[in-house]
Amino acid sequence: MDITQYFTDYTLRTITLGTAVLGAICGMLGSFAVLRKQSLLGDAISHAALPGIAIAFLITGAKDSNVLLLGALVSGLVGTWWIRGITTKTHLKTDTALGLILSLFFGFGMLLLTYIQKQPNANQAGLDKYLFGQAATLVESDVMLMSVVTGVSLIVMLLFWKEFKLLLFDKNYAMTLGFNTKFIDGLISFFIVLAIVIGLQTVGVVLMSAMLLAPAAAARQWTNSLSVMVLLAAIFGMFSGVFGTAISASQPNLSTGPVIVLVAAVFVAVSFIFSPGRGILFKQLRLLRNRRELELQKTLYFMYTIVRKHDDISRPHAIKILNNFQGFTRNTLSQLEHKHWIEINGNQWSMTHSGFETASNLYNTNLPES
Amino acid sequence: MNPSIEIQLIAAVTAAACAIPGVFLVLRKMALISDAISHSILPGIVIGFMITQDLASPWLILLAAVSGIITVVLVEMIQKTGLVKEDTAIGLVFPALFSIGVILIAQNANDVHLDVDAVLLGELAFAPFDRLYIGGTDAGPKALWVISTILVITVGLLLAFYKELKLSTFDIGLSSALGFSPVVLHYGLMSVASVTTVAAFDAVGAILVVALMITPAAAAYLLTTDLKKMLWLSLLFGVGSAIGGYWFAKWLDASISGSITTVLGILFFAIYLFAPSKGLIAILLRQNRQRKEVSLLTFLLHLNNHDSLEERHVSHLQEHINWRKVKAKSVLDLAEQNNMITIENQVVSLTKKGLEFTEKALEYIITNKDEKIEDMKDDFFLFRG
Repeated sequence: MDITQYFTDYTLRTITLGTAVLGAICGMLGSFAVLRKQSLLGDAISHAALPGIAIAFLITGAKDSNVLLLGALVSGLVGTWWIRGITTKTHLKTDTALGLILSLFFGFGMLLLTYIQKQPNANQAGLDKYLFGQAATLVESDVMLMSVVTGVSLIVMLLFWKEFKLLLFDKNYAMTLGFNTKFIDGLISFFIVLAIVIGLQTVGVVLMSAMLLAPAAAARQWTNSLSVMVLLAAIFGMFSGVFGTAISASQPNLSTGPVIVLVAAVFVAVSFIFSPGRGILFKQLRLLRNRRELELQKTLYFMYTIVRKHDDISRPHAIKILNNFQGFTRNTLSQLEHKHWIEINGNQWSMTHSGFETASNLYNTNLPES
Repeated sequence: MNPSIEIQLIAAVTAAACAIPGVFLVLRKMALISDAISHSILPGIVIGFMITQDLASPWLILLAAVSGIITVVLVEMIQKTGLVKEDTAIGLVFPALFSIGVILIAQNANDVHLDVDAVLLGELAFAPFDRLYIGGTDAGPKALWVISTILVITVGLLLAFYKELKLSTFDIGLSSALGFSPVVLHYGLMSVASVTTVAAFDAVGAILVVALMITPAAAAYLLTTDLKKMLWLSLLFGVGSAIGGYWFAKWLDASISGSITTVLGILFFAIYLFAPSKGLIAILLRQNRQRKEVSLLTFLLHLNNHDSLEERHVSHLQEHINWRKVKAKSVLDLAEQNNMITIENQVVSLTKKGLEFTEKALEYIITNKDEKIEDMKDDFFLFRG
């Protein structure tokens, strides 16, 4: 497959567009899920949507994807609502509640699906695409639906931006200011569930949770500002969709959903390692630099304890006397010289005024005379 | 043995083997680890199959269990960086591993008789067909042997390390101070959960494993706080739902895993609603009663503070304490029934009993000393606990 075909192939263009839009909306709404410590809500809700799909099919007997999505939405919302009920009313914790809803709803959905299969008029082929997702079945109308949902949630997000932000970071304060926190809470949850449901037929139940939180977790590493994070997460999600589709199209037998998830995982890994503020790499480097600085200061202070016993601070001393000091090396010595804290003359060193000044201010405490 | 009994046996033993680690997962707030493991063992199985080319090989189970433990280690590693919270760490690790598994399967689709559907959903009805032969004689379904062995090992470990497990679950600080390594116990538990998940998902599918681990324990936790009772109850719930679910499936002619999960769901829902002290209904009733009692106390204190006839007029009370009419009426009735007030010509006055009660409550509020209300505790929920 060459690059021109990529832009001319109708199916591929539709899929790319669809996964890009999906990635963007997931990244955007996923940021809220991650910051609300509801990362695994996506996992639970995507499983909880299954019985809704089955029931919608049982009632209407049609395989119209909008009707099925509506069923998924309803059962996803029921799941969310029950999770909240369990965590607020009983002493069961969030993780237990999520696991319960996830497995119980999904099991019930499976029961319904096998029941549908055995019905005489069953033409349930296609229902199981919601389990594993088939990006290949995306058509233009699906992409339209996704775009509309993305647009609506974007508008709602902008309208309630202040409220969302306040609720995320200080719920109690929002309450005392008189905001209807229950309503705002419900609004966020509703849109998160909506995003999950929309993504089901593209990446499937299992991988939906990763779509929701991987771009957000990656974006979180680069910024401390909510608006930047949401924007970055949307961009990461979008690129995961585009790259994932491109990679999976480049080879046969490469399912789109899993590839998208792996691309998103690469974004996360890169962010974890290379983000300047929080990344592991720079954190280690900072740690190393601090440690080296400390070693240097230790050496300087040791010299200071020698020097201050003499009237003349610039009196030379033999380098040999330093050798028993831990952490002292040729390297630190030349660094000290480089900083003009000491001067080296053959086998002898002497402290400069600036070195003496620095050393005496190092520990601003009353250390006992040693 | 006929297949029907064999299936029920496999289901029941699997339920029992899942219920034991499940209790500790729920208590340690790690319930979702079972979900993560059940998905992330997929690459282990696929790689095992690619090496041995044999779906029945024990290497598959071993490699799957190893990838389960790798999941736990990875989650912990990510969590230790402090960049994200634990739940996010779980949510990042298992979809990635699962994706690798799915891609591996798709890449080798032609020669692997491994289906993602089958892995996730499982089909108990087929379990009796895969039989174990010892020297040519039929020794029963293989799945039954595997899962029974795991159950025996789990029970053995539980009995051997009961005290340590209990201590480290409820007081991790004390347990490490006493010299039980929390890390060893943690990974021991995780290994048991991982191996059980692997063995169980082979028979019943990944999602049912999660349901069998979490639901019985969660339901039991709503009924008791005693660890031993909780273990017994979850065993009972698990095994009961497994057998009940089998018959339900037979009646509906549908997936056994699905119907066991559904029975578990119905059971949990019933306990969630009706559990004597921690069920939803009990909690709502209690909250309602508490609310009423607070209202009553507010009302009595108000009466105590105001002597003038005007302040004690029924119609005035409504606006003064800012209650709606219905609520004011019900509080008034409650107080009258308890002989705490009398109403004459629409004017309310405290009785002797009401006065005593109010003064005691006031004293308690001012001093906040428990002994002031000892004798009121029986009558009023408000002052208990």
